[in-house]
Amino acid sequence: MKMLASSCLVGALVAGCATTETSENWQRTGDPLVDGRAAIEHSQKRDRALWEYRTAATAMRRGQFGEAKQWLDDALLTLGGIYGPDKDARKARSYFASESKKTFIGEPYERVMAYYYRGILYWIDGELDNARACFRSGEIMDSDAENKSYSGDYVLLDYLDGLITSKLGSDGSEALKRAQAESRMAKPPDFDLQANALFFVEFGSGPLKYATGQYGEELRFRPGHSPVRAIQIKLNGQTVRAEPYDDLTFQATTRGGRVMDHILANKAVFKRATDTAGNVAIIGGAILASQQGSHSAADEVGLGLLAAGIISKIFSAATTPTADVRAWDNLPQFLSFTAVRLPAGPQAVTVEFLDANGSPIANLTQTVTMTVSDPPRDTVIFVSDKNQ
Amino acid sequence: MKKRILAGIFGPSVLLAIIATGCASSGVKNPSGIGVTEMRADEKGFVAGTGVESQDLVAVTDKMARSILDTPQIKNAQNPPVVLLDPVLNDTRFPINKDLFLTRIQVLLNSKCEKKVQFVARDRMAALEHERDLKRTGQVTTSSDSNVVEFKGGDFFLTGKLQSLTTRNSRGISDYILYSFELVDARTSAIVWQDFAEMKKQGVEDASYR
Repeated sequence: MKMLASSCLVGALVAGCATTETSENWQRTGDPLVDGRAAIEHSQKRDRALWEYRTAATAMRRGQFGEAKQWLDDALLTLGGIYGPDKDARKARSYFASESKKTFIGEPYERVMAYYYRGILYWIDGELDNARACFRSGEIMDSDAENKSYSGDYVLLDYLDGLITSKLGSDGSEALKRAQAESRMAKPPDFDLQANALFFVEFGSGPLKYATGQYGEELRFRPGHSPVRAIQIKLNGQTVRAEPYDDLTFQATTRGGRVMDHILANKAVFKRATDTAGNVAIIGGAILASQQGSHSAADEVGLGLLAAGIISKIFSAATTPTADVRAWDNLPQFLSFTAVRLPAGPQAVTVEFLDANGSPIANLTQTVTMTVSDPPRDTVIFVSDKNQ
Repeated sequence: MKKRILAGIFGPSVLLAIIATGCASSGVKNPSGIGVTEMRADEKGFVAGTGVESQDLVAVTDKMARSILDTPQIKNAQNPPVVLLDPVLNDTRFPINKDLFLTRIQVLLNSKCEKKVQFVARDRMAALEHERDLKRTGQVTTSSDSNVVEFKGGDFFLTGKLQSLTTRNSRGISDYILYSFELVDARTSAIVWQDFAEMKKQGVEDASYR
């Protein structure tokens, strides 16, 4: 009886640990920008970069580039400072803490996108060399893949690196060759250095994460999707088409395993082994304790086994091999880019999002008036099917 | 016998209770906070990445300022040559405020080595021209003939370039950065001085990020 009571006490204490995760402590309004700001302010520190990523993407789609810059700069500081020992990361590797205890910086495809967006913002500000730095850092984020054939294989990042290098008067042809060689969808064209209106295009909904396996220890990606296959831009009597160059689902799913996957697999093995050992000890102990007369040696051994079994079960219950499924959930599925030559001054632009048959999807067509800067400064337009 | 049984049951329970109560501190990092730590700009902080940091900026600009002053064209000049700043080119993978380099070199040369070189405030030309025009139109007083062109032309351009080489694999990341600066004769385009500094940094993130 006493054993049962103490076991219950211990069980309750262990179960109590599961409630240390706090829920959202801000009021959701339904406006992702407002909610994002609140989340950045009030969420746990380890989730801050995640909310900054999400809020920055929303801000970009609303044309609030100053705000996007602020969130991305802060997130990239977190991302750039992860080297060396980290208490939270160490905790995430321990048997009794989940992976989501670590500071979120995202999987490589998410880190790449933070640099990609920041690069666009630098380009908008006319800081081409800093934009190029971001595209290069993005490519580096993708370079440590287990499967080397998919390492650093973003077409657009290499293409933009080469384009800026050429615009700055150096030779960007190597980067162009890499981009063209890596292309699996549309092949990027040769650089037009006179093109002064640059369209960064994104569409679709990007990949999401989920956990599978007996204990949710395996990280998997739910593919992104998009009814849009390309976009068509009509302006100044020209029609230009932008095909996708990069697919974020492809990027998320072709890297091979993570080091953390092995750690989570070990945690799962420990959880399973302690659970099984606990079952065996409890059953064995119960049989021994019940088959002999009271106060016998077998009775004592049986009770000892029972206690050991319960301990083992508690260790098993406390082990958390669950994969971290926090995800930058408002990323696009496809990335594209096109550049055209335009005279300085105001220009009416119509952007049509094309379906698989090449027909415009009516409710997505956007018409805007852009002001083209005087050369040599580029005019950068950010186009998303989620633009608001 | 009873005591032994009780000990067998109670012992593990106490142990488990200790383990379980250990969870009370989970999710709370530095509950009392960390006070602001004041550091020198040339000191390596406890928050470090593999990119350009303040200690690199200080080391590089100190070296460049000293090196410029050793240049014969500067050291032996009869009158302090006028130096113009041409923005540094960032060819690395690190987005940075690259103006910091030239600003610090300029301040070092102006503050520590009086009258060896002279910089002109070309970034303030709009305000300077406005003031000159006010003087020319008699709207404000002037201590000299405002119709005489007195804005100084440059003798040299001071500029530089940051380049990097990155290696990344499962064992970590390594970033090498080459900082090169030069003085270009504005009349002949000859590079009259050039120097460089280089840094290499390596790091590896926790396994949970790999």
